[in-house]
Amino acid sequence: MSPEDTSIGRAVRFLSDRFPVDKLSFAALVGKKEVPVHKMSWAYYLGGLVLFFFGIQLTTGLLLLFYYQPSVSDAHASVDYLTHDVAGGALIRNLHAWSCSAMILTLLVHLLTTFAMKGFAKPREVTWLSGVALLIITFAFGFTGYLLPWHQIAVNATKIGLQSIEQVGQYLPGALATLPTRLREAIQGEPSVGQATLSRFFAIHVVVLPLFTMAVLGLHLLSVQIHGMSQGVDRPADKTERFFPFFVLKDLSLWGVVFFILATIALCVPFESFFSFPLFEPYDPLGSTPDGIKPEWYFYFVYYPLEMLPFWLVNLVMAGAVFVLAAAPRIFRGTGRQTLRTLAAGAAAYLIVMTLFGHRIYAMVKGGH
Amino acid sequence: MTDTFLLVGLPYVAIGVMLVGTLYRFRRREYGVSALSSQMLEDRALVFGTIPWHLGIVTLLVGHLVPFLMPGVWRALVSHRVFLLSVEAVGLSAAMLAALGLGVLMVRRALASRLQSVTSVMDQVILALLLAQVVLGMLVATNFRWGSSWASGTLWPYVWGLLTLRPNPGLVAEMPAVIKLHVVGAWIIALCIPFSRLVHAFSVPIQYLTRAPQRVIWTTERRLRSLQEQAGGEDPMEARRHVLHGVSALAGASALLSLGVLDKFARFFRGDSMSADQRERLMERKLERVRETETERALEVERMKRDLIPVGRLTELKAKNGLYFIDYQMRPALAFLGEGGLPLLISAKCTHLGCTVASDVDDQGRILCPCHMSYFDVRSGEPSEGAPAKAPLAHLGWVIREGETVVASQLPGGAVEGTIDPTRAESYEVCIARKHTEGRA
Repeated sequence: MSPEDTSIGRAVRFLSDRFPVDKLSFAALVGKKEVPVHKMSWAYYLGGLVLFFFGIQLTTGLLLLFYYQPSVSDAHASVDYLTHDVAGGALIRNLHAWSCSAMILTLLVHLLTTFAMKGFAKPREVTWLSGVALLIITFAFGFTGYLLPWHQIAVNATKIGLQSIEQVGQYLPGALATLPTRLREAIQGEPSVGQATLSRFFAIHVVVLPLFTMAVLGLHLLSVQIHGMSQGVDRPADKTERFFPFFVLKDLSLWGVVFFILATIALCVPFESFFSFPLFEPYDPLGSTPDGIKPEWYFYFVYYPLEMLPFWLVNLVMAGAVFVLAAAPRIFRGTGRQTLRTLAAGAAAYLIVMTLFGHRIYAMVKGGH
Repeated sequence: MTDTFLLVGLPYVAIGVMLVGTLYRFRRREYGVSALSSQMLEDRALVFGTIPWHLGIVTLLVGHLVPFLMPGVWRALVSHRVFLLSVEAVGLSAAMLAALGLGVLMVRRALASRLQSVTSVMDQVILALLLAQVVLGMLVATNFRWGSSWASGTLWPYVWGLLTLRPNPGLVAEMPAVIKLHVVGAWIIALCIPFSRLVHAFSVPIQYLTRAPQRVIWTTERRLRSLQEQAGGEDPMEARRHVLHGVSALAGASALLSLGVLDKFARFFRGDSMSADQRERLMERKLERVRETETERALEVERMKRDLIPVGRLTELKAKNGLYFIDYQMRPALAFLGEGGLPLLISAKCTHLGCTVASDVDDQGRILCPCHMSYFDVRSGEPSEGAPAKAPLAHLGWVIREGETVVASQLPGGAVEGTIDPTRAESYEVCIARKHTEGRA
């Protein structure tokens, strides 16, 4: 038996395939990298675009921090002051909101195209898994950030979101049934959403998640550079183009165009214009919940099913989806890209239909209110 | 007399000599119409001289020409503060760029020995004249502000008068010496055009912008191959053009970005510019929010300290419209007037996802949770058929007291203890009691 066949030998080979330290040089990471040119090449720009949006989030978020005050009495007033009185404040806040939506949209397209191009196949499992982790982190960013302005829709939507944790309790036996409630109160920090929740969400949104993102993103980017772009199509492309400087320059010019579009939208279209005004009044713990409480659009794909279907079913499907995402390198080891593309198209169709027409389907199912 | 010569005689002489001389040169000495490029002799400093100079001077000439050609449009434009400031800023920057370029060109002529043999006296005169003219222009722009605005009503009518043979030097004669010098300088430069390399200004080589670059180099096969390798297999000249495009686009984009973005950042840091009135209103709003928080905190403290919490007077309760209050667990609840003139207290926290239920009772005796449309019967607390909420809203116990004496009470679901006297309802107070909550989560 040769030393390569022992279990240690296999483990070493596994690790050295995923983390080829001999490739840790500028020449290997940047100089020699080639990007395949084929009809799906546009998808190679999406990851960079997400990174760009994240950069905008980081910058504008940092700026918002200079004025935001995370307390139940001051949060709304400070956001109000920032939006209406500080020069450029409305723009910065609007950029943060629009870029958040743009980032999640791009991230979802990035996920689907990477899946369709079989970007998770050996040796890129680490890239894929860190990407899935970043997806979850991004949704956590969205959920925690939504509460911070402390207006009606923010607090009420957060209450509903957290309350659904408690719903799991009804499916658990005996003493376990109260576990979700205790979990919810642990997250909230108190029996109902209040100052403790705000402090926690603020800390998570502003410190914890960015730190996690930096670590996971570092791993993600490093793996992308080490292993290069996946070939993306079943028949290897005849043409490649050099990553540096050609691809990088195209990347940068795309960022420039996107920034221009984003800044124009942020200047001209306040993101609040899609909601009715009373939702943006300060949260009133003593009054009734106003109409039209909804999560952000990027949660519709799970929100509307939750409204229409049994709770356990939706949760089972969602857990299954996360499992499939995490285990994709294993499950789809032998699947061809044609099949993957069909699967991704199906998932995309579901997301688009649920996001755009979710409320109509809901009205149809529930008989309209 | 001097004014008349400088402002009327000189211009006509200059324009005449310029037209005749330039036409003569174009007709008779076509190959003499040239910028007399010395790039072959020295090309390093030239880049840093000729490019800033031409960028600057072309911008300035356009800026001087547009108000002359379209005075009405121009006056409308410069009446906007932002446009006026932008024009002045761009003009001054262009002038500095031009002066910088000229400076580099002069130093270059002075230092490179190869150039001195081809430098004529006229070249030196032209360089000095141009520099003087640019400096004079900068002095005008900084000492007599908003020239882009006032010149369109004074200087350009003067030039227009000259061109239409109705000279009117009075408009300029009264002006400060610096401005007059700038005007006179312009005529002198015009006069010099046919006798110097400045004549190339009339042979605008527009096709140079788009034609493939030509460059005379002493080259070998090996040099070409290595250049091609450096450019990633591209034609080296093509690649160079792409890089130039890319770099200039990046530089332009960065400049725009830093202008646009940094400006926002700087203002953002500086904060607001509110009037005293606005600031007062802001502080009032903030105070209001703090007061609301105070109310809420007071409620919490009250629930920790006291065994009975008043909800309201019995006479305040209505059958059709609930009164919101906060129970011992700081959850919302509603107080209605129930059967027999007794209070009916019910939780307002929806058993589905915890929204606060609305306070109006509909015709069927139900209250509505607006989040997912669950109707709850007020008397039983039960949700309606098919509602997302499955569990009923809990009823709360109540205590009625008059002053400090307890008159009547009811445990949730229990029997009423004590009786009330409807005639004294005015002095009855409805409370919730801590003892009713014990043993409940």
